[in-house]
Amino acid sequence: METVLTGLATGFGVALDPFNLFLVLAGCFAGTLIGALPGLGPINGVAILLPIAYGLGFGPESALILLAGIYYGAEYGGRISSILLNVPGDAGAVMTTLDGNPMARAGLAGRALSLSAIASFIGGTFAVILMSMFAPTLASFAVTFSPADYVALMVFAFASLASLVGKSTVKTMLGATIGLMLATIGIDANTGVPRYTFGLPDILAGIDFLIVVVGLFGMAELLTLVEHQISGKLKALPVDKSFVRMADLAKCKWTIVRASVIGFFIGILPGTGASVASAVAYGTEKRLSDKDKTFGTGDVRGLAAPEAANNAAAGGAMVPMLTLGIPGSGTTAILLGALLMFNIQPGPMMFVQRPEVAWGLIASMYIGNVALLVINLPLVGLFARMLTIPQHYLTPLIAILAFIGIYTIVGNPFDLLLITGLGVFGWFLRKLDFSLAPVILGFVLGSLFENNLRRALSISGGDWSILIADYKSITLYALALLVVIAPIWLARRARRMEGDATSETA
Amino acid sequence: MVDRIFAGVLMVVTLAYAVIAFTAISAPFQYDPLGPESWPRILSLVAITCLLVILWKPDATEMGVARQTWFRLGATVILLIAYSELYEPLGFILATILFGTALCAMLGAGIWRSILFGVATGVLGYLLCATLLDLNLPEGELYEAIAETFEKESS
Repeated sequence: METVLTGLATGFGVALDPFNLFLVLAGCFAGTLIGALPGLGPINGVAILLPIAYGLGFGPESALILLAGIYYGAEYGGRISSILLNVPGDAGAVMTTLDGNPMARAGLAGRALSLSAIASFIGGTFAVILMSMFAPTLASFAVTFSPADYVALMVFAFASLASLVGKSTVKTMLGATIGLMLATIGIDANTGVPRYTFGLPDILAGIDFLIVVVGLFGMAELLTLVEHQISGKLKALPVDKSFVRMADLAKCKWTIVRASVIGFFIGILPGTGASVASAVAYGTEKRLSDKDKTFGTGDVRGLAAPEAANNAAAGGAMVPMLTLGIPGSGTTAILLGALLMFNIQPGPMMFVQRPEVAWGLIASMYIGNVALLVINLPLVGLFARMLTIPQHYLTPLIAILAFIGIYTIVGNPFDLLLITGLGVFGWFLRKLDFSLAPVILGFVLGSLFENNLRRALSISGGDWSILIADYKSITLYALALLVVIAPIWLARRARRMEGDATSETA
Repeated sequence: MVDRIFAGVLMVVTLAYAVIAFTAISAPFQYDPLGPESWPRILSLVAITCLLVILWKPDATEMGVARQTWFRLGATVILLIAYSELYEPLGFILATILFGTALCAMLGAGIWRSILFGVATGVLGYLLCATLLDLNLPEGELYEAIAETFEKESS
């Protein structure tokens, strides 16, 4: 507890520095604007702005605080297009449309927006508080992990990714493997042997992380926007003067608490993040409290549950990223890559070696949450106006921003071609139901996975049994097996019960 | 079908990756038992297994993209490539004016609005990013040549 308090004191010392405070606010504001743009989710927003934030030349803690603010703000802003347009910005916001849009159509847009802002605030704050209590403990436990344990942890991360993300397990696996394969390009750090460089000097040091992120997310998103471009503007519902009432909050209070808990813990699971969390929270809430069958028609609880879960998961996903160096979602994978660019190895040692970064980030999330609530309640009308930006201005703007960002890093025009190529590849992957988060997770974790495996086998002198020599790794393999088998088993059981029900009625 | 084609293309790439992993990569001397080649070998085997499953049981049957959309996507990619190629020779301002105008007009804005948009993003973008935020953006060979001749004349 004492480490938490001293840590928080350090963190607030960093985050309350006027410049950093300004960055939190600027990040939250920019993030909400980006999140509110129709079709542009948090991950794409962070991906497009990351190189620019890097190019500004701030210190690591400041740049990270700015990025976290953008990430947080975008999660907040996503609900605006969900509620007013019925167009979710990303997978995590799909559930928000189910009850949020009917409320707006019933003329309660203001009420829906303010309620979801409060639900998001509670979910987010809850997650940050749990995070600041758990993270140091988890980090001090993770210090004892051996390379073999790390290998087991990666296997667990990829197993939960494969079973929980995307429509097809095989495609998720393949996506992660593609990411891992992309990470092998470049000079092998242990032996100095170049791998898959084909003599191209541009990729001797490996494909730059930013290029993969901007290409796969930003540029692929741009192509998707061009593909879906609808002639004429989408019709945004107007924001009225209605506001959340105490009665709504009283009705939702347990919903919000339950959804926050669900969101936080699902967010912690590697690779899953907000989309799974909001879906599970909505499903649970529907089962528990949908007595009058009002869910889906504009029930306040159906709106509060996914919003609270969404933001709690955004916080939860930071826990494995900060303590283990294994990101809990696609967006935190990008933040992890950002840390690596500043030569900070996220993981258990970060709390000891770079407390100002770790705790500064956590403290900025406290501030960010409050700031978002304050920004969002009165300014929602302004953000809603972002929805009416026509696509034919938005699309070129994304490309221009992405190009500025990539060019400013090294000033190599070859990189611009590379992001275009990766964008086309990413568009195909998306089109064929591959999700892109596993690719980026694989890419970020690639060298960590390989190096730990090699280190473990170096310790044992080539004996593979070292991988299962420890209770920690065995537990992790068991957990990995569980996350793969449990959903299959549950689906079977559900189908059997359904079969029983139909045979009974027949 | 589309799934099979895509998986087939990926399979060719993966096989090439595997061949390189199994034959070409080797370290002259190494300290760890795995060396630089084992990890790519493992990955290529995993990827081939996944691809075989997809080839055997594909689930996406068609792309659902209209012919017109394909043209638009193709044109966007060509514009992006042209933008990358012209980025340094023309410099940020000119390249962005051209690219912004072209893409904006292609996506359905009126020609005058597109030109306005292109000029605004090119000029304002340069002022904001290069002057205010001090980011590194290309000035363009043309500008550099002019600046050089001016310098020569003044000296």
